[in-house]
Formats: sequence, C-alpha cells, structure tokens
Amino acid sequence: MKMVLSQRQREELNKAIADYLSSNSYHNALEGLKKDADMPGEVENKYGGLLEKKWTSVIRLQKKVSELESKLSEYEKEINSGAPKRALRSPSDWIPRAPETHCLTGHRETVIKVIFHPVFNILVSASEDATIKSWDYETGEYERTLKGHTEAIQDIAFDETGKLLVSCSADMSIKLWDFSQTYECIRSMHGHEHSVSGVCFLKGGDFIVSSSRDKTIKMWEVNTGYCVKTFTGHREWVRKVKVSPCGQLLASCSNDHTVKVWTIATTQCKADLRGHEHVVECIAWAPAAASSAINEGAGVDKKKNGYEGPFIISGSRDKSIKMWDVASRSCLFTMIGHDNWVRGLVFHPGGKYVISASDDKTLRIWDLANKRNMKTLLAHGHFCTTVDFHRSQPFVITGSVDKTIKVWDCR
Amino acid sequence: MNPCIVPEVPIDVQGDNRWMSQHERHVSEAKEREPDVIMIGDSIIQKLQTCPIWNDLFEPLHCLNFGIGGDLTQGVLWRIQNGILDNIKPKVCILHVGTNNFGNSPEEISEGILTIIKEIRSKLPDCYIIVLDLLPRGAKPNPLRVRNSKVNVIVHEKVKSISRLEVITVNTGLLQSDDTLSAQDMLDYLHPTDSCYRKIFEPVHELLLQILGEAKDIDKELINTQ
Repeated sequence: MKMVLSQRQREELNKAIADYLSSNSYHNALEGLKKDADMPGEVENKYGGLLEKKWTSVIRLQKKVSELESKLSEYEKEINSGAPKRALRSPSDWIPRAPETHCLTGHRETVIKVIFHPVFNILVSASEDATIKSWDYETGEYERTLKGHTEAIQDIAFDETGKLLVSCSADMSIKLWDFSQTYECIRSMHGHEHSVSGVCFLKGGDFIVSSSRDKTIKMWEVNTGYCVKTFTGHREWVRKVKVSPCGQLLASCSNDHTVKVWTIATTQCKADLRGHEHVVECIAWAPAAASSAINEGAGVDKKKNGYEGPFIISGSRDKSIKMWDVASRSCLFTMIGHDNWVRGLVFHPGGKYVISASDDKTLRIWDLANKRNMKTLLAHGHFCTTVDFHRSQPFVITGSVDKTIKVWDCR
Repeated sequence: MNPCIVPEVPIDVQGDNRWMSQHERHVSEAKEREPDVIMIGDSIIQKLQTCPIWNDLFEPLHCLNFGIGGDLTQGVLWRIQNGILDNIKPKVCILHVGTNNFGNSPEEISEGILTIIKEIRSKLPDCYIIVLDLLPRGAKPNPLRVRNSKVNVIVHEKVKSISRLEVITVNTGLLQSDDTLSAQDMLDYLHPTDSCYRKIFEPVHELLLQILGEAKDIDKELINTQ
C-alpha cells in the first residue's frame, strides 16, 4: 500500500529522520540526506525525538485499539446474546438490563410511584402533577389519565384482582378508582389531618390502610368509606404502610427513623425496629421465596436455628438498606452502596435479589445471600423515586423526578 | 431608622407581581419538600440553579433555591418572616443578599444581613448558616465595589462570635491583578458565569459536605472497601 504524504508532511518526515540520524551520530548518512533532500543547515529542536515518538505511539495506539475492540465485542455480546439469553437463565435470575426498552413521557411533574397491574399488561404511574396515568408496558403506549386529586399524589396500590385502585395525596384525601370499566373515582375518604403518603389494600380487599404526615395510620372499610381503626405510636410523619404476606400484620416507616410492625386485629405495635439514622423512606415485606437467601445473608443455616421471619427490608435517607427479622425484632444485616437517599425497594419474585431506587439516580440489584450490590444501572437523569418488579413477567419499571417512567427488560 | 432592617415587600415597579409570585412558589415548595439545604438571597443565588453546577453539586444534596433577582435585605427579611422557613428543617442555610441595596451605607447593609442571620437563627435554631461575601461588581473599581467590600469587612467582624456560622470569602479569586473583573467570570460584571459559579461554589459545596456529615461517610466507605 502506497501512502501519499503532503509536501509539508514529507518535509517533517525528512527533518525527523535528519534529527534521528544526527542524534545517533550517523554523520555520513545525515550529510547525504541533507544533500539529497536539499535541506541545508541545522535541524530545529522541535523535531527532537519526533521519529521515535511516532514509532512508539503506533504501538501504543495499536494496543489501545485492541483493548477497545475487545471491550466493544464484550458489550456487543451482552446486547445481542443478552448477558446470557433469557431462555438460558432461570426466571429467578432475571435481572433488569440496560438500556431501557421504553421511556414514557407525559407527566408534567415528578413521577412519585409506578406499579404493575396484577393481571393486565399495564403499568400505572402517579405524579406530583396530581394525575394517575396508565400505560401498556409492552408497547409503551399511553392509555388513560385519572384526574381527581388536587395536589401531589403520594402513593397508589391495586387490590389483588386489579379491579380497584387506591390513591392518596397531599390534598389529604384517599381515593378509590374503578379500574375495570369506568375508570372513575368511586369514593373519596377524608380523615387524615395532613398529607397522606402511603396506602395499600389488606388481604381480601375489604379494607385499606393509609399512613400520613399526621403521624397516624388509618384503616378504612372499602364498602362504606368509613375509618374503622387508627394506629398511633409514630412520633413523626409516617411515610409508608405495607401489609404482610400473611395479612395479619402491618409494617410502617417514618421520619422518626423507625420501622414499626403492628397487629391489625388489636392495633397494637408489635415491634419497634430501630437502627436507621435518618428518615426511613420505604419498606417491603419479603416473600416466602426469599427466606433462604436472607438466612444465608444473615450467616445462619436455615435448617438449624434459622430465622423464620417474617422479614422486612427498609431503605432510608441514611443511604442504607436494612433487613429485619420481625420475630426476633433484630436487624439481620445492612447493605451500603447508594450515594443518596434510598427511595424505593422491591423484592425480586424469585426471592434471591432486592431491587432499589435512589436519589443517586441509580437502580441497584442486591444479592441477598452475599449482601452484595451485584449490578448498578444509571436509570434516570434525576432522582429515581420508585421501582416495581412484575410478579411473573420479566419487567422492571422505574419513575423519576425527571418526569419519565422507564421500562426495563429483564434477562 | 435603618431601612435595611425593616421587613418590606418591594414595590412592584414593573407591575407584573413577579416578586410575590416567586415568594408564593417558594412557600409552597417549602411545604411539600424536605430540603436539607436552602439558599436564600438575590439573583446571585437564584441564577445558580440555571447552571450545570447546580445539577452536579447542589441538587443531589436536596437543596432548594429561594433566590429572587434584585431582592434586598428588607425583602429577604420579609420573606423569612412570611413563610419560606416554616414547615422545613434544613440543616444548612446559605445567604447572599445586600448587593442590590442601593443608596444604603455599608453599615446599614451589614446590619440588614446580621438581622437576617438572627431571624434565620430564631426560626431554625439548629440550622448551620453560611454567609457568602458580597461579590465584587463592575468591570473596574467603583464605589459599589468599595461598598460591598466594606460590608464584607463589617460582617466578618460581627459574626465572629456567632456559632454554627461560616463566612465564605470569595472576593480574592475574582479580581485580576489590575483590579478588573474578567468577562469570563462575569459577562455583565455582576452575575457569575458557570465557570465562575464553580470557583465560588465548589468551596461552598465542600463545606456543605462536611457539615452534612458526608465527608465522614466517604471515610467509612474507604475503610470498608480496603
């Protein structure tokens, strides 16, 4: 292959060769070159070592190129064959992979909560713009908007059938929505004296529990809309409330740095879990499938003297995630990695992992048995406020202060 | 009576009520958000949030910006007494105001700043206060620049005895050897450019990290990873 050099390049090359010859004391050759190339006088300093530099830089660049090529092929492999193909991995090991498959836009303010519909291919989002929107998470299509709240919505939840949706808001109300036919608000419940920040259905779907900045948790009858119980004990804003898998207990977390567990029947506080050093933002009950991984993480053999649970995981503004055993009222382990407030937590349906969303804009996957942050996805351009994992399909959804919702494919 | 220490809503000269609209937005933000850091003051504070450095360094700290362009010490005082600090418990409050108090003496302006500091203290007794020196203004030396440095000298002296308060000195890095301000730092010789905001606010960010105890966390992390 013949390379063509420009006039200027040729002169530079000649001078660089001249410098090389001169610095190596090849005087005869230098004189010959000067004569042949018509290049009288001394070679300027700026050509000192130029030839050697070009020579070595080629090798350096070759090395760099081969490094980058191998890195690229690694990434290509991960994209094409999808860090083992989904078919080759068991569903219990599916974890969300970048890039996202859909980025849904439409909310005008922070997306505060996203959840999957228990039956249909739908996700529902709640925003500080006071609306609730539903989307098809497979196609990324927008479906509809539920309007009724007058201030920022704080939490939403489906009943087990997916026919009813409940929402709560800074406007101090809780609203019940028909999600099977009319998509209209069928009931508004008032009684809290401040923002309502957490809400969920009890097992069976006849009751709703809500947590509020008025420091209380209230229980409401779905049919009548009456408040039937009030749980008091938190000393500050109660952020979230979640019902246990058995349906008998509630877990709540608060600005008072505690996680509390309540017996629904008696409204008594059963456990007061202390350890976080800042507001506890989010909690989740562990599914039965997580029990062995949690015991392994806690360093005990499940068969002998293992913890029986139930287990709760909590995320806090102190940036840590803590795993709690309700029976022994103890913190089993703490996982550190996020660089900012932890805002959302959800168990992997397989039980081996927990997924967290944080104000450090990332989504992290935690391996419970090893208490290890096994994968981090830079999820959003701003605080990542919420995350949900589909119970049976390989999808994860996140929401953010950047007003978008993202759908992540799991492999 | 020193006008700088009398809380006052500025006259709506232009007639669009923007000052009050901004104040009302700040009050509603204070109700909803739970900031760890708040910034109060004039355009120097306000324009920070339009710069990349705001997203990089301050937003992640859960920071709210209550700056209003053109505001005076008396306006800031009024706003503090009328809602912007109610409903929140920030750990740190950052202040820059006074450069727009035209016609007031350095003594009057500095008294205004000190009154604001006292007012913040009474609303938020546990809150750390960071006072930013008034920035130099004008391309070349001029009476307002002299006035601002006099204010700074007086404020430095008077806050010495106040605990949980830091003064950030910014004057020195901005003036060039011939006492001029560079257009690269301040295009209009009043408001910092992004690179100039970095010069001024990176030290503020450092200090914030220390105060918020984040520096300690980083140490912990280093130990854990070793």
